[in-house]
Amino acid sequence: MLRYSLRRLILFIITLWLLSLFVFALNYWFPGDPLTNMTGIRDQSSYAYQQAVDARGFDSGILQQYVGFIDHLLAGQWGNSLASQTDVFAQLQPLFGATLELGLLAMALALLLGLPLGIYAALQQRGPLDRVIMGLSLSTYSIPVFWLAQLFILLFAVKLGWSPISGQINPLYNIELQSGSILWDIWRSDMPYRPAAFIDALAHLWLPVLVLSLMPMTMLIRIMRNAMLDVLQQNYIKAARARGLADSRILFRHIIPNALQPVVRQLGLQFSVLMTNIIITEVIFNWPGLGSWLVKSIYERDYPVMQAGILVLASLILLVNVLVELLHAWRYPQVRKEQHAEH
Amino acid sequence: MFLKPVCLLTAVTSVLILSACNDNNQLPAPLSEGLVYCSEGNPESFNPQLGTSGTTVDATSAQLYDRLIDYDAEQQQFIPALATQWQAFDQGTRYRFKLRQQVAFHQTAWFQPSRPFNADDVLFSFNRWLNEQHPYHDVGGGRYPFFRSSGLMRLIKRVERVDDHTVDFWLNQADSSFLANLATDFNVILAAEYGAQLLAQGTPSDIDRLPIGTGPFVFDEFRKDFVIRYRNHPDYWRSQPHITQLVYVITPNANKRMLKLLTGECDVIPYPLIDELAQLDTQAEIEVASAVNPSLSFWAFNTKRPPFDNPLVRQALAHAINRPAIIQNIYGGKARLASGMLPETSWAYSAEPQAYPYDPAKAIELLQQAGYPNGFSMNIWAMPVQRAYNPNAQRMSELMQADLARIGVQADIISYEWNTFRQRLARGEHDSVLIGWVADNADPDNFFRPILSCAATRSGNNRTQWCDPEFDQLLVEAITETEPQQRKQLYQQIENYVMQQAPLVPIANSLRFQAHRADIQGVELPPYGGLSFRKARRLTDAPL
Repeated sequence: MLRYSLRRLILFIITLWLLSLFVFALNYWFPGDPLTNMTGIRDQSSYAYQQAVDARGFDSGILQQYVGFIDHLLAGQWGNSLASQTDVFAQLQPLFGATLELGLLAMALALLLGLPLGIYAALQQRGPLDRVIMGLSLSTYSIPVFWLAQLFILLFAVKLGWSPISGQINPLYNIELQSGSILWDIWRSDMPYRPAAFIDALAHLWLPVLVLSLMPMTMLIRIMRNAMLDVLQQNYIKAARARGLADSRILFRHIIPNALQPVVRQLGLQFSVLMTNIIITEVIFNWPGLGSWLVKSIYERDYPVMQAGILVLASLILLVNVLVELLHAWRYPQVRKEQHAEH
Repeated sequence: MFLKPVCLLTAVTSVLILSACNDNNQLPAPLSEGLVYCSEGNPESFNPQLGTSGTTVDATSAQLYDRLIDYDAEQQQFIPALATQWQAFDQGTRYRFKLRQQVAFHQTAWFQPSRPFNADDVLFSFNRWLNEQHPYHDVGGGRYPFFRSSGLMRLIKRVERVDDHTVDFWLNQADSSFLANLATDFNVILAAEYGAQLLAQGTPSDIDRLPIGTGPFVFDEFRKDFVIRYRNHPDYWRSQPHITQLVYVITPNANKRMLKLLTGECDVIPYPLIDELAQLDTQAEIEVASAVNPSLSFWAFNTKRPPFDNPLVRQALAHAINRPAIIQNIYGGKARLASGMLPETSWAYSAEPQAYPYDPAKAIELLQQAGYPNGFSMNIWAMPVQRAYNPNAQRMSELMQADLARIGVQADIISYEWNTFRQRLARGEHDSVLIGWVADNADPDNFFRPILSCAATRSGNNRTQWCDPEFDQLLVEAITETEPQQRKQLYQQIENYVMQQAPLVPIANSLRFQAHRADIQGVELPPYGGLSFRKARRLTDAPL
C-alpha cells in the first residue's frame, strides 16, 4: 500500500508540475507583455512594475522567471486582476468555497440517489421499473447541462415559482462573506434572521444542485446496475444462496460491497465531469464560484484571473482523482495486487 | 447511512412547501425594508468623475453623492443642493456659491468624519480633476473624460475658498452651459478629510473603491459581477430614504432580468426588452416607466483608420444601411429615426430632411468614386450591454452586416465585456462602433462637444477619433453666443457640417424604459442623468 501510495503521489506531483509549466507558458502565449499577464500591472513605467521585474527574475533568463513564478505561486502572490485591480488570491478563496459547496452537494446527491436506484434497477432486472429507470437515465444523460438548466429554470422557477432563478441567496440578507459557502456563512453569522436566511439559501441551492447532480447520477445508476449484475452471477453468491443465507444478508454483506468496487473507481471521473459542468451551471445560475469567475475572465481577457481559475480547477480535479485512487486501492487490496503484484 | 437521504429529502420538501406558501405579509424585515435593483453591468469605479458610463452613473451619482446644484427638469430650473444660493459676477466670469451647513459625510468602518461638509471639500473635489499638480489627479488614471470633453476643464480657471461656506469659481470666459454642466451627475462632491486620511495611509486609490460622499446611501460592499450593497445614510441632510438597504444585483442578460422581475427577485430593472414591453405592461404586478432621456444612438467610424479617413467611404456606408428597418426591428418602432445629432426635444432642433436615405445603388457609386469598387472588409464593434439609446447592439450589427454585404463590404462583429470594450474603444482599436450618447444636461452643446470635438478625441471619448478644427471653431462660436435664435442657427450649421463629413451615422433617438414591481414607488428616472433611489419605497398592505 505504501509503495502504491508513493507512486500515486509522485505521479500527482509530476502532473502538478506539468500543469504549472503549462500555466507559466500561458503568460507568454497570451497576447501582450508576459509580466503584465502574470501580475496584472499594466503601467510598464511604474515603480510596481519595476519591483515585479526584480522579484520575478524578469531581468534574467527564462529559468529564473519560472523559479520566480513558482515562488510567487506558493507564497499566494498570484498578481492582480487586470479588470478590477484586486488581489487574485484574495478573490479566490470565497469563490472556491462557493464552488466546493455546490460541487460536493451535487456529488452527494448523485451518490445518495444514484446508487440505490442502480441497485434497485439491477434487482428488478428487465422488470418494468428497471426499464423506466434505465430509460430515464439514458435520456437525462443525453441532455446537455446548459439546456437542462434552462428548462428547469423555466419550469421550477418561472412557471411553478418553487425556486428563485439565480443567485446564492436573496441579496437583501446581508450575510458576511467568509468561506463563500453560503450555508456555512449563514451558520457562522450572528444576524437575527438566520433561520429565514437558511431556508432562503436552500431554496436557491436545490435547483443548481439537482441540475449538476443529474449527469453523474445517471452514470452512477448505470455503473452500479452493471456491477450488481456482474456480482450476482458470481459463484460465491450462488454458494451463499445454497448455504441458505437470507436474501437481505446476501445483498448487504456480499453483493453491494463487491459491486461498489467499480463504482468507487469511477468516482474520480464522475467528479471531473461534474466540475466541467459546474462551470456552465454557475454561469447560468449566477453562482459566485470559480466557474463563473473563469468564464467572465475569458470575456474580459483578464489573464491573471484566467490562469488562477485554470490552475485551481485543474488541481482540484487532479487531487480528487488521486484521493479516489488511493481510497480505491486501500479499500480493495486486490486492485493493487493486480496492478503491482504486491503481497 | 439511510438517515442522510431522508434528511435531505425532508429538507428539500420543506423548503418547497415554505417557499410556496411564503406570504408577502410575513416577509422578514430585511426583505420588506430593502430594495433590489438588477443593474445591467459592473460600475467602472465608484466615482463618476472618472468615467462617462451610464452604468457607473446609475450606480453611484445620485446614491452616494450630492452635487452643488441639481437640475429640476419639470420646472426647467436649477435647484439648490449642497449650495444654497449662487450668483454670477463680472459678466458671468465669476460665480459665488453659498454652501449648505451641517451636511454630514458617511460614517463607515474605513472613515469616521470629524467635521461636516465645507468649502475644503468643494476645492478638493474640483481640484482633483482641474489641477494637474493635485495629489489625487493621477489616481485612477487621471483621465476625467467628462470634464475634458465638456470643456469644463478649460473653462474653470480656478476655484477659490472665500470662507468656510463660500466658494468662488473663476471662469476663463462667460459660458452659457456652465451651470448646466455643474448640475450633471459627474460633478459630485468628495470628502477632503477622507482624501487626506488615505494619502497618509498610502492607499489613495481606495478613494474610488471605498467611496465616501454625502448622498442618501452609504457604500457597504461590492462583489464584482454579483452585488453592490448600500445602506441608508442616517444623517442625510434631505429627508431620510425610505428603504434601509439598496442592493444592485448585476445581471447583464436582459432575458434573465425580465424573468427575475416576473418572479420578484428584482424589484426594479433597467432596459427591459422592447419586444416584451407591451406584454409586461399587462401584468398586474409589473409597471413600466419611461422617461424622455434625450439620447442618440449612432454608428461611429474610426476616422484615423483607412479607408474611413475618406469622407466618401463614410457617406457610402451611411447610404448602405437601412435605418428605418433598424427602427422597426430593434426598437420595435418605439424610437424616432434620427435626422441629425440633436433630438427632437432639444430647443435647438430644426427639422431637416434625411441626409442619408437608404440607397445601396448610391452607396456602390460612392465607393467606386472613393476607389473601392470591390468593397473591403471591416469590423463593427457592438456593445455587449443594453443602453437607453440602443437596446440590442448585437442584433443591430447583424442587420447592418447584411446591408453592408449588399454593397460588397464584408463586416465582422466584435464584442467584449463592457468595461473592456470601452477601454479598447478609447485606445482606438475599432474600425467602427455602434454606440450612443445620453444627454447630461439640456444644453445643445452637450450633443456635440463631448462626442465629436478634438478635446473629446484627446480624452479618448470621441469614438470617431475625428478632430476637425473647423468644427471646433463652430462649436466655440455657438457656445459664446448668448442670443438663442442665433445659437439655434449656428447649431444648424454645425449639424449640416457633421452630416456632410459623416464621421458618424445617427440612427435613433429613443426613450429610456425601466420596469418595476407594482409595490415599488418613487424610483426617479430623470431625463438628464442617472436614476435615483432616494425616494423609493415599498408599499405594504399593513401600515408600519
